[in-house]
Amino acid sequence: MSVIRAIVAAFAVFILQVTIVHRMSVLGARPDLMLVLLVVLVLDRNPVMAIIIGFSLGFLQDLGNASFLGMNALAKSLIGYGIARYASGYLPESTFFKSLLILLASLVSSIIVLNIMSTFNPLTVLVSFFRHSILSAIYSALAGVVVFLILKLFPRRVVRSVGRY
Amino acid sequence: MQIISFLFEKHLDKTVLAIAIILSILMLSADEDSQINSARGISSFLFYPVNRVSAYFTDMEQLKEENLRLRELAATLHHERERLTQFREERNRLRQLLGFRKDSFFDFIPCEVTTRSSNRFHHSVTVDRGKGSGIKVGMAVVGYRGLVGRVVQVFGSSSRVLLLNNKSISVSCLDKRSRVVGMLNWERGNLFRLDFIGREEDVLQGDTLITSGFGKILPKGFPVGTVFQVAEEKTELSRRVSVVSMTDLNTLEELFIVVGGRDWDSEDIFNRLDTVKDPAM
Repeated sequence: MSVIRAIVAAFAVFILQVTIVHRMSVLGARPDLMLVLLVVLVLDRNPVMAIIIGFSLGFLQDLGNASFLGMNALAKSLIGYGIARYASGYLPESTFFKSLLILLASLVSSIIVLNIMSTFNPLTVLVSFFRHSILSAIYSALAGVVVFLILKLFPRRVVRSVGRY
Repeated sequence: MQIISFLFEKHLDKTVLAIAIILSILMLSADEDSQINSARGISSFLFYPVNRVSAYFTDMEQLKEENLRLRELAATLHHERERLTQFREERNRLRQLLGFRKDSFFDFIPCEVTTRSSNRFHHSVTVDRGKGSGIKVGMAVVGYRGLVGRVVQVFGSSSRVLLLNNKSISVSCLDKRSRVVGMLNWERGNLFRLDFIGREEDVLQGDTLITSGFGKILPKGFPVGTVFQVAEEKTELSRRVSVVSMTDLNTLEELFIVVGGRDWDSEDIFNRLDTVKDPAM
């Protein structure tokens, strides 16, 4: 049941990402809702499940943009593993810290994606990182705050079936 | 077996991660065309509804932008059309004025109305010609259809023109057809009354009234109004003759000041009028 819910949530967020999010850009930066969902889903899960979820969400995102098929799958697999392995269990039960985790995850994801896109050109990565990635990461973190606050309104058992809140 | 045990029991998470990374790298390193085609094949099948929704939102946004652009264009064109309409009307007026000026044997100075008085009972306009153009107090002011008033004050580069629609003004007029003389007095709006018309005088509806030229202040022969009603007075001694002015006195824009002409030289009269304030017509 929880897997079905997670799949439905993934598709719903993906639809939002490709339909609504591009209209919410601020100074060219857009929130990565798939990354926010990834953090929500992989917190308090085992690393194997986190990798599978990360890979699936990334691959779903890649299907939307076939120029670099596998790029988001790679980035989100690594991020999912990192969160499940090193953040789960240590992260305090606080919306602030969870948003901070989204910020860091977004920055790491940007570094991976930029390196793949620029074929590991450090200058291009550095310029793009400071020009776009930081703002997008902050935007994603703020979107995460909203998501976590919304999740707090739902009964615990409903959210637990999808992920930690 | 030991390797499988090592990979899938002791280090399952790392093994799965390695598989995920390898799969991702394989997808990235695959031929671009095959990547794109396979991805498009999968996504077109899976995300057909999503693409429809996305296209809807994109179309909505494009329509909004287009709507905004078209509204701006419509507003611009509307203003442009208004301006062109005004230019066309002005051109028509000026052509009429030009024709009037060419056909007349008077000398005119063209002028434009710059301001209008806001006083309900003392209608006057200011025109953009003054002493510098040789304008003098008492000069008649006409539109292309006929008399509208006369100059009562002259400044350096402007003059004040008292219009016919004032209670203080009477104009001596002739019936163009029957040559009957009467005094034209303002009643309201563009309506006037021709006084001193006896019962037997030949004045008919539709007759045109022109300036008589008596007193030589106003030049003779300028149309002033048209008779639109002739009614018997109760006294039975005179008749009530209602006249509508030739020119709409509320919409004056371009005018002419009559400065002279053949058979009409009132230089001495104007010089004497300079010393008089607000002369009666």
